[in-house]
Amino acid sequence: MKSMAIVIRDDSYDKILTPLVFAYLASAEGTQVDMLFVNWAVKALTVEGAASLCMDGRHAADEAMVRENVAKAGLPNDIYEILKALKSTGCVSFYACSLAGAIFGVNENNLIPEAEGIVGASWFLNDKAAKADHCQYF
Amino acid sequence: MRAFTVTSILDTSGKCCPMPIVETNKAMKGLALGDILEIIATDTGTQKDIPSWCERTGQTLLSTTEENGVLRYHVRKDR
Repeated sequence: MKSMAIVIRDDSYDKILTPLVFAYLASAEGTQVDMLFVNWAVKALTVEGAASLCMDGRHAADEAMVRENVAKAGLPNDIYEILKALKSTGCVSFYACSLAGAIFGVNENNLIPEAEGIVGASWFLNDKAAKADHCQYF
Repeated sequence: MRAFTVTSILDTSGKCCPMPIVETNKAMKGLALGDILEIIATDTGTQKDIPSWCERTGQTLLSTTEENGVLRYHVRKDR
């Protein structure tokens, strides 16, 4: 597998971990990973948004336990720190969906520098997802 | 008696997926062709992950042992 495309729409702390971990694993094999953040997940591409991610609903009470165990596993338990670690592999690219950015208040001014930019979903689907060896949607 | 000499040791004890693989990848980048990395792990997921990673990246898994819950892998850098 030379390339993988991942689309993330869920912004809860626990649910965003899985695609980030999968990207980390793929990068360790030298796979190019392109990630599009849509819907609420686009907030993760801002410093404030990444810091505000929490666990929702019936799992909310377990957040402290989950964060502690994430740290024990060796991962940073802060989402922005994970994003920075992924970027440092040189194999992972982050894109913010332009529609999601417009709806949820993410723009060039608050986008984290680790992100490639704000893009149209059509471009991502045609130039990244359709050409990738594997696609995942979260 | 091993038929090879370990060049470097990576201890991932206590860490879980994805870190043993991520750290193995980083450690291998610092080695020369022919060098042998010993990976120590306690995550049982590595029993599948390490052989798969070796196959995917073109490295050679020389041996796997397990003793009291501690897994040891010896991987030769071939690429």
